[in-house]
Amino acid sequence: MARMKFLCDVERCIECNACVTACKNENEVPWGVNRRRVVTINDGSPGERSMSVACMHCSDAPCAAVCPVDCFYYTDDGVVLHDKDICIGCGYCFYACPFGAPQFPQDGAFGSRGKMDKCTFCAGGPEEDNSPEEHAKYGSNRLAEGKLPLCAEMCATKALLAGDGDTVADIYRERVTWRGSSGIGWGWGVAYGKAGLREGKAIEGKATGGE
Amino acid sequence: MSNNKQSRIRHHRMVVFSLLSLVVLTLVLPLIPYAIAELGETAGNVANPGTEYWRDVRQRDRIVTGTTQVRGVDTDVLINVTGEEWRQFRMGQLAPYGAIVLGVMVGILVVYYLVRGKIRIEAGRSGERVRRYTSAEMTVHWILAITFVLLALSGLILIYGRWVLIPLLGDAGFSATATASKVIHNYGGLLFAAIVPVAFFLYLKDSLFNLKVDAKWFLRAGGYLGGEEPSAEKVNAGQKAWYWVAMLGGFVLVASGLVLDFPNIFQQGREWLQGAHVIHTIVAIGVIVFFFVHLYLATIGVEGALESITSGHVDANWAKQHHDLWYKELQTGQGGGSASEEPSMSGGSHAGGVASPIAKD
Repeated sequence: MARMKFLCDVERCIECNACVTACKNENEVPWGVNRRRVVTINDGSPGERSMSVACMHCSDAPCAAVCPVDCFYYTDDGVVLHDKDICIGCGYCFYACPFGAPQFPQDGAFGSRGKMDKCTFCAGGPEEDNSPEEHAKYGSNRLAEGKLPLCAEMCATKALLAGDGDTVADIYRERVTWRGSSGIGWGWGVAYGKAGLREGKAIEGKATGGE
Repeated sequence: MSNNKQSRIRHHRMVVFSLLSLVVLTLVLPLIPYAIAELGETAGNVANPGTEYWRDVRQRDRIVTGTTQVRGVDTDVLINVTGEEWRQFRMGQLAPYGAIVLGVMVGILVVYYLVRGKIRIEAGRSGERVRRYTSAEMTVHWILAITFVLLALSGLILIYGRWVLIPLLGDAGFSATATASKVIHNYGGLLFAAIVPVAFFLYLKDSLFNLKVDAKWFLRAGGYLGGEEPSAEKVNAGQKAWYWVAMLGGFVLVASGLVLDFPNIFQQGREWLQGAHVIHTIVAIGVIVFFFVHLYLATIGVEGALESITSGHVDANWAKQHHDLWYKELQTGQGGGSASEEPSMSGGSHAGGVASPIAKD
């Protein structure tokens, strides 16, 4: 069985937010809920990097660990899903999640939380595959149709990769091998100036942080 | 002939030379990168930009927030670094240690009951009834008591239901219970927030510590562990301690609870929620532990105690035994009333039908 994974290559992400839009449209997520978001670090300064982030389908998921009603489950593909019929909207999964994946539509009096909604790796929920009930609660079940999540399929620069962890890792490893993984690879001096390299300064445009 | 010999020597030399160079090269070639690193140190000083980026994302050196087009709580944070700590607290510390603390307290009370039994009114009931609480004091007590029990119960269900109730009720059944617990907890908390300040001021006067009397009471542990029962005022030192635990704990619970309530209105960030949750649960477990003691002593622990808060009256001998200073005060007739009034017993469980020995209000 495959072990499904997302990977966002920060050297390639251009913050176009197409993944966010694709996800919203494909899964018809409730108003005010975004299952995926793009975060930019050091926006506007040299070394700016963007990354698309959603549920990362952890092996030992903190959300599943803290859920008071135990509504999470893992599929055979290692996708973390939850049962909205069981969820009580307490918000604990949101406290614990490292990636800010769980989202809550506003529901009921005084803005209390509705049932949690999050990225399903386009794998639906516990209902029958691609049934109207499943679609209404969880959105598309592309995995059941033999397709990968739409966010990754839509990614123009192929920064966002989704699929079996081994395959994703192979693609990424190949990329890193070709372009080099650090600031001391062959050709760096030529591309970014030998002076910067020799004096050990952060390389303009490539190093993160900016001042 | 000599030609042949010469070529053999040359061949021999070539073989030896090749072997030697092979050995030398095998030893030396792998050292070249080290030599380069040793001589051209500059290259090693350049930090890998990738490591800095990931350090930023994990917020190891500083708090890093990015920018994002998605509006919502904490959406500009890539990694919620405190989430895992909070998980460790709730699953690894709160749940097990909370269960141990509550269980140990219940165990102590059970053992105490088996060893000591009910604390009787030694002189027996006199039949004479003494006014202890006003109807306002009783009403506030019961509103506070009912809200507190509902909140404690629903809170404990949200912590321990996953292990205790799911096997009994099933997933869907427990989901309904948990939803009800959440609603009771969220809105019952508002009632609790309203009643705690009222209770605080209502019982404050009687609950201020009187060092001379109360220190002695504490030193003798109220006589519960043997020895003579120390003298006490209307409210003994243990009850005063419970007042302060419940009230100060109550204020903390209300404050931290309000931080946790209404997340979609105030848009609290996760650090606020996690911090408030940690404080809320630790204090709640502490107050519940004290509450067990209060519940035990007020019901099965001490004969004649419960009626004080259901009827507002206690037996005169009970007052003499447990609150001697208060009883003496009543005897000296503060406020004109007299404790040696005709016994107005028999069915005198209604405050209205009983003559009050002290005209307190």
